[in-house]
This record gives sequence, structure tokens and C-alpha cells, in this order.
Amino acid sequence: MNLRKVTTEAKLLLIGIPVLIWTMLPIYHLVLFAISPKDQAMGGQLWPDHPTLHNFEVVFKQQHHYLNFFWLQMWNSLVIAVATGLITLMVATGAAFAISRLKVRGGRMAMNLALLTYFIPAAFLAVPMYKTMGVYGILNNQWSLILAMVTIATPYAIWVLKQASDKLPYELDEAAKIDGASPLQLFRLVYLPLMTPSLVAVGTYALLLAWNEYLYAFLLLSSERDITLGVALGNFLAADDSPWELLMTTGLLYALPPAAIYYTFKRYMVGGLTAGAVKS
Amino acid sequence: MASVSFKNIEKSFGTTKVIHGIGFDIVDGEFVVLVGPSGCGKSTLLRMLAGLEEITGGTIAIDGRVVNDVESKDRDIAMVFQSYALYPHMTVADNMAFSLKLRKADAAMIAERVNRASKILNLDPYLKRFPRELSGGQRQRVAMGRAIVRDPKVFLFDEPLSNLDAKLRVAMRAEIKALHQRLKTTTVYVTHDQVEAMTMADRIVVMHDGRIEQIGTPLDLYDRPGNLFVAQFIGSPAMNVVSGTVRRATGRAHVEAAGAQWPLDGSPGADGQAVTYGIRPEHLTLAGSGGVPGEIIVVEPTGAETELLIKVGEEQVILRTHGRPHVNPDEKVHLTVDPANVHLFDRGTGARLTA
Repeated sequence: MNLRKVTTEAKLLLIGIPVLIWTMLPIYHLVLFAISPKDQAMGGQLWPDHPTLHNFEVVFKQQHHYLNFFWLQMWNSLVIAVATGLITLMVATGAAFAISRLKVRGGRMAMNLALLTYFIPAAFLAVPMYKTMGVYGILNNQWSLILAMVTIATPYAIWVLKQASDKLPYELDEAAKIDGASPLQLFRLVYLPLMTPSLVAVGTYALLLAWNEYLYAFLLLSSERDITLGVALGNFLAADDSPWELLMTTGLLYALPPAAIYYTFKRYMVGGLTAGAVKS
Repeated sequence: MASVSFKNIEKSFGTTKVIHGIGFDIVDGEFVVLVGPSGCGKSTLLRMLAGLEEITGGTIAIDGRVVNDVESKDRDIAMVFQSYALYPHMTVADNMAFSLKLRKADAAMIAERVNRASKILNLDPYLKRFPRELSGGQRQRVAMGRAIVRDPKVFLFDEPLSNLDAKLRVAMRAEIKALHQRLKTTTVYVTHDQVEAMTMADRIVVMHDGRIEQIGTPLDLYDRPGNLFVAQFIGSPAMNVVSGTVRRATGRAHVEAAGAQWPLDGSPGADGQAVTYGIRPEHLTLAGSGGVPGEIIVVEPTGAETELLIKVGEEQVILRTHGRPHVNPDEKVHLTVDPANVHLFDRGTGARLTA
């Protein structure tokens, strides 16, 4: 019995350690570059001789022509991510409630269509999406990216939320109905409070999806003042002598908010996303 | 308080008809139990009364007002669910106050009603707790409290005790009955447990396959079951039945079944008629000789009573006695039947034969 425990532990470690190295290596590189002086960044050392925070100072003070709009672009990323999260939540919650609780006609078909969208890679839709946004006349407007991201995030969000709401006992709705609740009161007073964990998880998912997006942001936005930090990072590579140490420093900063968000909502994420994952 | 009246109620799910024209009246203040095996349509009937299911045909009236097209919340009913259906994110007090808040009752009135209900149900120490912090019995009481604060015309109970353990179920049964005696609110109670039906009801409606088999007071149904189904459904252990033929031509009238002669009291059944002969376990007694011969299979002492499983011919019957008879398995015994307590049913239709 005890031996079996030990072997199980050993097997887990055998998987765990490579995974840990695998995930930590890029982060280590980010940090290494960020604290290295420019001339030592590519030196191939495991740790710089003179670690410095100079790179952060350059980034924060926007002292490089790639970084002229660092704070604005960070803000853009934030606005777009938060807006995407909120709008996705509104759309998906409404849809899940209508399909799962009010049992509206055509709900099943809507669910199947939502699933179908996952057979089409997002990159495939980039050009049609560009065209559509052109027709709407909102190219180079941040709304185009927000709407595109909402479009991509919503089907999955509906799916997860629908599965989660299917788990709420139907008697609760009936009890509320007999107690005198209208569908809207049911939604507000019973459904939303009980769905909070899933809502946080799905909202975070959409937010991070938009935060991490590159392709659509690159396509739909072009002005330096409108683009997200992700796209701005890509632009670093346009030059022959890219300032790698600044790129990595900015990248590190760019990676911090998602980490913070994920950490804050960790307990919802695991519970919420798996809650919808399997149908029990 | 109110009367309830079902007229020719029908219900179909798609093309499947589950209730076939049911009609009966419940008088003001009555405690009526709908009982039957699962799938008999009792819950569906209750849910139609609650407004949770569409009524396919017929009318339901509460206090003389037809409510077919009236929404649940305007029917002035309160319902207790099997799963309790308490709002998990609200405290006990908020659960009970929810319906009144939705109706925009003023705070003083809500507080007073919740207070009264919690006094009646001994929920005072738990008002600030959440449902997850309560035991099954306490949750059940909160569900009842939620119904009481409404002061509705009709209480509906949908198998409210099924999720409780046996001991608690007996205790809650008494509580619900006491509650009804105190409030005198018209109550419709659905259960599959005939003991619950017997102990709680003013009148029982026995349902089977979407039809009413019999309506009557508990003892009525027990003493004079209208057909074989009711006879076997009401009472535990169930009534003994054997298939046989009435013989009147020679000697004392009797039914010939399982290789024995089962005595008949003058009354029903023509000579040669194929019947089902029914006798309740407590109406069989052990005798020294004569009567119906049998062989003990199992002896089940329960303390106050003893149940004997006895083989008669190819059939098995149960005998219940207050004493502690000194018998052992495989022992040959003789059974005396009290002919006054015999129930005869037509073998074909299952209907009770009456003289």
C-alpha cells in the first residue's frame, strides 16, 4: 500500500518535473533578458553579472521609439479585454438562461451551431471578419476588435454556461415561479447568484482570450495609438536590430496582468470550467 | 382556504396520454393524498394544479374559479418539493420571505409572517443559516415554512418525505399532520408510500395508469377496497390473494384454490365463478386442525407482532399475529380464515364482488 503510494508519487513527479521545466523556461528567459544590460542580453549566461532594472525604467518612461505609446497600448489591451469579457458574459449568460432554463424553441439548434463554430479555426475567419468590419465601417476602431473577440469567445462561453446552468435543479425555477417570480426576477434573484462561479470563470476566459489575441488585433487595428500591447510587441521585430532586452521586459510586464487575474480567480476557474466540462 | 375541483382532467405528453379523464372534488380544509405506483400520474396531476404543467383537457378550479389559464403565482397556492428546492444562496429567513418580497409586502408584515412560521416550525435558531448548513429534516421544515408564510388557499406537497431517512420520515409525517390540524388549509399531498397516505389523509385518491382506482377515507379503502389493485396497494404487508373458483353446490360455500377450501360467508359469487380470493394477513389465524393446511416457510418476529410466510399448495400467504407463536420453518400448520373479512374479486375485471 505504502509502496504503491510512493510509486504513484514518483510517477507524478516524473511527469511534473518536465512540465515544470517546460513552462518555466520561457519565463526564465523573459526574466533573464529583462534584467540584463543590452550588451549582455545575448551573452548566453545563465544569470547576468550585473542585474539591472534599467530596462524597466526605459519601458515605464517610454524612452524608446518602439515604446512611445507603452502606457496607452497597455490601457488599450485592458479596455479591449475587459469589454470583451463583459459583453461575452452578457450575451452568453442571456443565451444560456434562455436555452437552459426557459427552454426556448430552437435552443438545441443554437447549441449545435455554437459547437459547430469550433470546427472552423479562428485564423480562417480572419479575412471574412476583416471584410465584415470594413462593411460596418469600424476598421481601425477598437470596437471592431472587441466585437470580433466577443464573436470568438461567445460560443464556448454559451456552451460552458449552459452546461453549468443545466446542473441547477429545475425545482428551483418552479419554486420561484410559484413564489411569484417573473422570468426576469428569476434570472436576477435566483439564477445569477447561483451561477456566479461559472460567470467569473467564463468572464475571465473571454478577458484573457482578448488580452492574448494577436492576429485579429494586428489585422483590425493599425494606428499606433489604437493597437494593443501584444501587437506593439510584434512591431519590435520589424527592425533588424530589435532591442531584445526591451521586448522581453515589455513582454514580462504584458504577462503580469493575466497571471494576476488568473491567480485571483483560480478557485473559480478550476471549479467553473470543469463544472461545465462533463455532463453528469 | 379553498375547495379544489378537478373535472375530466386529461394530460398528454406528445402523443402519450398519461392521464385519462380524472374528476373529483376536494372540500375546504381537507387533507387529500394522491397515492399510486410511480408513473401513475399523481405528480403530473399535482403539477397541473400548481400550474407547472399545461392542462391538456378538462378544467381545474380553485374556490370555484377555473385556473387553467391562470399563472402559478396567481393561483394562491404554495408547494413543497421533494428536493425542498430551497434557494441555496439565501438564509432560512430570506428563503421564507422571498415570495412576500416579490409581492412587495411591507417589511413589518414580512417579519411578522416569517416569525410566526418559524415559531410554528421551531426554526428560530436557524433563521440566519444557509440551507447547506441544515439537516434534511430542517430543510424540509424550511420548505414548509416557505409555504406557510404565503398563507395560501391550498398547500401542495410533492413526495416531501422521500428524501428523509425512515425515522425522520415518521416524525415529519406527524409534524405535517399536526400542522394541517392547526392551520386547516386545504392540502393536496402526493406520495407513493401507502403508509403515508393511510396515516395522514382525510381522504385518499388511489391512482393507477392515469386513472382513479378508488377514492375514500383510509379505513374505507382498507376495509372495502373497490378492486384488486387497491386491495393489494393499500396495507402492508399486502393482502393475500389466491385465484380460485366459487363452490356453492355442496356443503358450506367456499372457494377452491391452491388445493384447499377457503371459507366464504354467505355473500357474493355465483357457483363456478372464477374469482380472486383476498384475505389480509391479520385475518388469518393458526389453528390446531381443520381449515386451510399449509407449511411454514419463514418466521419473522418484529417484537410486537410476528409475520409468518406460509406455503399453501403452490401459493404463499402471510399471516400476522400479535403473539409469538411457537412454530418453526417446515412445520405443518392449519390456518383459520375469518369469513367475515374475506374480499372477493372478479378474476377477469378485478372488481370487488358485492352481494
